[in-house]
Parts: sequence; structure tokens; C-alpha cells
Amino acid sequence: MRHKLIFFATIAVLLGHSLALAKVDLVILPKRDTVQLTIYNSADLTLVRESRALTLKKGLNRLQFSWANTLIDPTSLEMLPKMYGDRIDIQDLAFPPRVRNLGLWHVQSQISGNVPVEITYLTSGLSWRAFYMGTLSKDEKTMHLKGYVRVTNKSGEDYENAQVRMIVGKINLIDQIADLARRQYPYGRPGPPPVVPRVKLDRVAVRAEAKRELERAEKIMMAKPKEIRKEGLSEYFLYTIEGTETIPHGWSKRLPSFAVEQVPVVNLYKYEEERYGNQVLRFLSFKNDKTHNLGETPVPGGVLKVYRNVVEGAHLSYEGQSRFKYIPVNEDVELNLGTVANVIVKPTLMDYKTDRYLFGNKGNISGWDEIREFEIEIKNTRDLPIKVEIRRNFKTSSWEIKKFGNFGLYEKVDLDTVKFTLNLVAHETRKFRYVLTTHHERRAH
Amino acid sequence: MKWKRTIYSLFTLSVIFLLLATPVYARIKLVALPERGKTIIRLDNPQATLIEEERVLTLQKGLNKVDFSWKDVSIDVDSIRLSVLTHPDKVILLNVSYPPNEAALVWEINSEDAFEVTVRISYLLSFIDRLITYKGLVDMEETRMNLKSFLVLRNFSGEDFESASVLLDEGQSFEKSISHGETKQLLFLNKAEVPIEKRWTFDARKLPWDPEKLETNVGIPVTYRIKNVKETGLGSSVLSEGKVRVFQEDGQKSTIFLGEDFTKLIPVGEKMEIYIGDSRDIVVTQRKMREERINVRYKRKNRIVLYDTDEMIKASIENFKEKPAMLTMIQHIPGQWDMEECNMDYKRVDAYTLEFEIALPAHSKRELTMHYHRRNVR
Repeated sequence: MRHKLIFFATIAVLLGHSLALAKVDLVILPKRDTVQLTIYNSADLTLVRESRALTLKKGLNRLQFSWANTLIDPTSLEMLPKMYGDRIDIQDLAFPPRVRNLGLWHVQSQISGNVPVEITYLTSGLSWRAFYMGTLSKDEKTMHLKGYVRVTNKSGEDYENAQVRMIVGKINLIDQIADLARRQYPYGRPGPPPVVPRVKLDRVAVRAEAKRELERAEKIMMAKPKEIRKEGLSEYFLYTIEGTETIPHGWSKRLPSFAVEQVPVVNLYKYEEERYGNQVLRFLSFKNDKTHNLGETPVPGGVLKVYRNVVEGAHLSYEGQSRFKYIPVNEDVELNLGTVANVIVKPTLMDYKTDRYLFGNKGNISGWDEIREFEIEIKNTRDLPIKVEIRRNFKTSSWEIKKFGNFGLYEKVDLDTVKFTLNLVAHETRKFRYVLTTHHERRAH
Repeated sequence: MKWKRTIYSLFTLSVIFLLLATPVYARIKLVALPERGKTIIRLDNPQATLIEEERVLTLQKGLNKVDFSWKDVSIDVDSIRLSVLTHPDKVILLNVSYPPNEAALVWEINSEDAFEVTVRISYLLSFIDRLITYKGLVDMEETRMNLKSFLVLRNFSGEDFESASVLLDEGQSFEKSISHGETKQLLFLNKAEVPIEKRWTFDARKLPWDPEKLETNVGIPVTYRIKNVKETGLGSSVLSEGKVRVFQEDGQKSTIFLGEDFTKLIPVGEKMEIYIGDSRDIVVTQRKMREERINVRYKRKNRIVLYDTDEMIKASIENFKEKPAMLTMIQHIPGQWDMEECNMDYKRVDAYTLEFEIALPAHSKRELTMHYHRRNVR
């Protein structure tokens, strides 16, 4: 069911001071001139800024604002005159007894006539998320990367011709806006505030709703793509969609956020028993920088679906998908596309011996070394060159290593981890060996 | 529509002239309702709200009984006080008694003459209080903040107050009407251009060391520091505890919401620390590169009794931002320890805590190396 929102502002000229005065003397319904939505993705939160033209009378004016069936946080309501700021005094904002979702501003005005004001508040129920589609070239050296955002409105309010902005960033919130919006009293009651139970949606209904949304979103795919302006503010990034959007309650909208034709990518394969088990994972690696035709802005986290051009004529194969986190500018990106079978890494223990025993006073063993020789075999069965990263963990910090053969680039990662990085051409099989000596008990000290 | 009160509060003040000395079983209340005069709502103590009201009593010469009762309000009975403002030397409060099963008390007052006296009745009233909220607007450079503070009056006491004098900390006061069930929010502090300091903090005990191994970003907490001193335009009174919401100018005549925090009470001279959110453009990757036992001492059967360690920690700090940043890095070394080598200066906050102030230019990477020994580990 669609909520119908009644948003109205009424101005009452206060004739007397008594509280017993009827609240509404004169009702004017000024139109919302413009509305701007700044939607956050790390929290259920949107900053709404709307401008309206009020007609004020000299003296004390009462302005009523109500928001039934929406998810507005009343404690965030603020009104500021955009003109005559020095001659208009907003005395207070009252939330009168026995009515819900209603605020009453007392405004002392030295002028009479039209005054543009700006009303801001935080609301819940609008959200956005980023998602991506990548298409690899046949040789897998470059990727055509397309970014999208999807804005969903479940706020209870229809926003028409709104300027839509999105914030990427992790803000600190101490109260959920939806909880504040559902409070019986805006600031609660002194003493323990009453708990209003949250209405939980049925899972099946949620799924059905998601499906409907998807269908709707498909319908409203844009005819003419819009530009998205991006800029950094504090620790966050602000994305502003060109022009205005109309997003009725219950609807979602998909908007393209960027498209880059050729992002050079590296096929990176990783092997690390302790993290991934005895299997090879495929990653697409690139950098969010100028040399990769990116680097203008951070990339908001989301899911990337990766396809590959297989033959001429735009046929595609689906390569996998990866959920990735926020990528700052100039940061390396490794997109995990899951396990593969066409690149094989096989470590084999070839030799094991112990040595250099130490004995204590009573003849018991007090220290020794263990020597293991491993052979690592890497097979690239693909018809493309690849990069392979192999990590080995030693479970002790007291060790030495000797390496033989073409083991590529060697690096100590931390006290018990080393990394070998190798580049293999198409259909290449490579083997290298290392001898690991670990020290135990008194030999370790 | 006529203003209607659903919950009644009834303050009745009755003056009973003691004409008979014999006790009566049913209390006879001779109710005179003197107008409530000046009323003060004192909100300077966040724990409890004190109401002070003035009334005029017409006393007879001799013994007077004054009956004070209430309904549907929550008054702390033991807090009720009566003080005589006029003729205090001629009017003596003799005793206070509490009638059974009633929200009431009776003052026995002796008066040397028949006259009108002004009295002040004070008591602690529940379910009426105030909150303080803050709204800050920082500039694009994040060096200055316009700080507004709002007073939120919440009255759920059962009593309507018309034109009461509301008293806050340190003598600030104003006239306000507030009905039962009503909440009123008013601006009470507005300071422009308050200097702020922005800080990033990495605490090695609280945050994960290797973000690469995590599915989500590790955010470095970002805070603003505001000093409650004269130099910043503040410093005239304590800053009460309350919720702080911070916004930022966006250069397009609009603002964005940066985050919110709850501040504790900040006395004059102290600083407020507001945690607004996390930075994901500063990435700290910390790894232990060495941990070995040295100088091991044994007892019988090769049992280790005491040893030292040789440890090395490397932390790489990358600033992906276009602006410089100041990172406070907190490291912890338990027990007895000596620093063998450290490539950055630190302050020893306590026996086990080290604090580094690390300046990070825009788009830069720095590396901290700590080589230390823990001594006499058992």
C-alpha cells in the first residue's frame, strides 16, 4: 500500500499569548519550491533540504509543519530564513501535546510579506547502493567497467523533481533515524523513554517486493544517461546527479554513475592454504589511478559482475562476480572472482629430516631443527599469460629459508609468512624448490 | 478549539484556621486558592528539576493550618519546603504533617498577627527536564565551526506552566510557557567561527592490523576537537552533555551531514571530542615481523623460568587523501619493556601505552618500525 503523505505548512498569526488559543487561524499552503536529497549508503539516513516561500505578518507568526506517515526525525527539523535573517527571529520549535508528527515554529517577524525559507531534516527510508558490470576483452588485458547506482525510496514521501545527491562514507550515528521517527514524543519523555516496537516485514513479502522493484527498475531504465558530479568532502564523497529526479515512494531508480572503456587489468591467481585451502583463487587486479583510466574518485563498494567477450559479435561469457569494499584513489584493487581449476598450484613435501639435537642434564631432548624441502609446481593451463602469488605460512617465527630454481619475486610478509610472485606465459608449467629449516625448543631461542 | 487539559494537576492550597482544639476524624479543608505568583523552573541540576512558586497566604493571628495537596503529578514529598518571604520574624512554621492516603501535607504556622504573607513553596517535580543538543556547521577546510546549541524543554509532569521563568546553569534564564505533554526546542547558544582541530586515531588494540584480509574496509575514526576556552569564543560556561550533530558546507550553498556523537559535560578549559565517522582513505597495515625469545633462563628439566623477547612491528600508513592529515597512533606493549629502536618519536602515555603523532602529507606513505624487547617474561 502506498502511503499518502500530507506535508503542509500553515501560518497562523498569533493574536494573543494564551496557550488556549486555537492553533490554526490562517492556513496557507506554500508550495515546496525545490527539494534536495542527500542520501547516505552506510546508514539509513537522508538529509532533505527544501525551500518554500512563506508569507509572514509583522509580529508573532506561528508556522505549523506536519509529517504523518513519513519517517522524518523531528529532532533534526530546522528552519532558516534565506533573506531578512536579522529581522526574523525564530523563537522556538514546539511539539504540542496530544498530537503526533507536528511541529510549531514561533517566528517573530519585523517584516510582512514573502520570505524564502529553507527547511532541513533527516529522514529514513531512502537508500542507494552501487553495483558494477565489467566486460573483459578477449585477451583479458583490459576491462570495460560500468558503474551504476540504484536509489530506492521507501520513505513514505513522493519526492518530485528532487536534486539527488549520494554520500559515500562511514558516518557515526548514535540513534537510528527510523527509531527517532517512530518515537511518540520527539525527544522522548523524561525517565525511561517508551519503546515502540519495530514492525518487521515478512520475509516472503520482502522478496516479492524486491522482485517487483527489480521489474520496476528495469522499466525505468533511462533513455538519456545523466552525468554524475563527484567531489570529496571531509572523509566522504559526494555524488550529485545532474538535473532532478522524481522518485515516488516504493520505487527504485537505476542511474549510471560512470563508464570507462579500457581499464588495464592483471589476471592474478592466489594460493594460500591457511586462507583459501588447497585451491587457487582468481583475482582481477588493477589500480584506482590515472594509468588505469580511473583515479578521479574513490570507487564505492558494491558487487561487480564480470563478463568476457568471447567471440566477435558481442557474445559474452559470465566469468563470475565479486563483492568489493570501498577503494580509495590510488589504492590497489584485487577483485576476488572465486576458485578456478585452470590454474594449478601444487606444493609437495620432497624431503624431511631433523638435526642439531640438544640434550638436557638428564639426557632428555631440549632442542632440535626440522628441515623440510618443498617443491612447488604451478601450471597455467590457460592460453593467456597470468600472474601467480603463493603465500606460505610456517607456524613459527624461528626459521630460515633457502630457495632454488625460478621462484620469481620473494618477499617476507610478516614473522611467519613469505610470498612468491611469479609470471607465467600461456600453457607454462613452472617448478621451484625451497628448503625450510625451523628451530624448536632451545634451538629457537 | 479550546485548549483542554486531559491530565489534571491540582494544586490546592488551603488555609484552615484552627478554631477547635479537638481532633476531627474527617479532615475539613477550607480551601482558598491563592493565585500562583512567580514560578521558577530550575533546570541547573540534570538529575532533578526544582520548582519554586510564590503564593500569598492570608494568615490569622495565632495558629494556622495550610493544606497543600496535588493530583496526577509526581512530587518528591520529602523535598517540599516552605519559606516565608514577608514578615519572616513574625511567622513561624511549627510542623509539617502528612494526612493518610493522600497526596498532601499540612503546614502548621504560627503568626504573631493577622496579615498577608508571601511564601515560596519549592519542591522537586518529576518528568520535567531539559536536554541540550548541538548542531555544528564546519567550513569546507574543516578548521572552523559554527556551533549552535539548543535547549529542549520536556514537560510530562502533569502540570501546565504559563510564563514560568526557566533557569539554567550559571544564571541564564528566560520566560517560557510550557504545557503538560509539550516539548519545546529553542536556540540558546550560537557561536560562529569556533576553531576546531581534526584528528585521525589508530589504536592498535581496537582496530584490525591487516585490512587486506578483511571483507570490509577498516575505518580510521575521525574526531573534531573543540576547546571550551575564551580563545575559541566559548569558555564562558560549561558545555552540557548532549547529542552533537555535525554538518559541513559543500561549496554549493548546501550542506551535508557528517555524523553525530554524544558529548559528555565539558567544563571550562577542557576540550570536547566529537567522533563524526570513519576515514577509509587512510589505511594502516600493521604486521609483526619478528618475535623471538632471547636470554632464556631455565630451571631443572629444561623448564623456562624467565626470558626476554626480541620483537619488531612494522606499520605502514598510507594517506590516499588529497589533503594532509594528522594521525594519532596508539601502540601497546605489555609488561616491562625497552625500546631498542624506533624510527618515529612517541610519547609514553602510561607504562604500557605509546602514542605517536604522525603527520601525513597528501598522497603519502610512511612506515613505523618499532624494535623492542620485553623483559623478564615468565
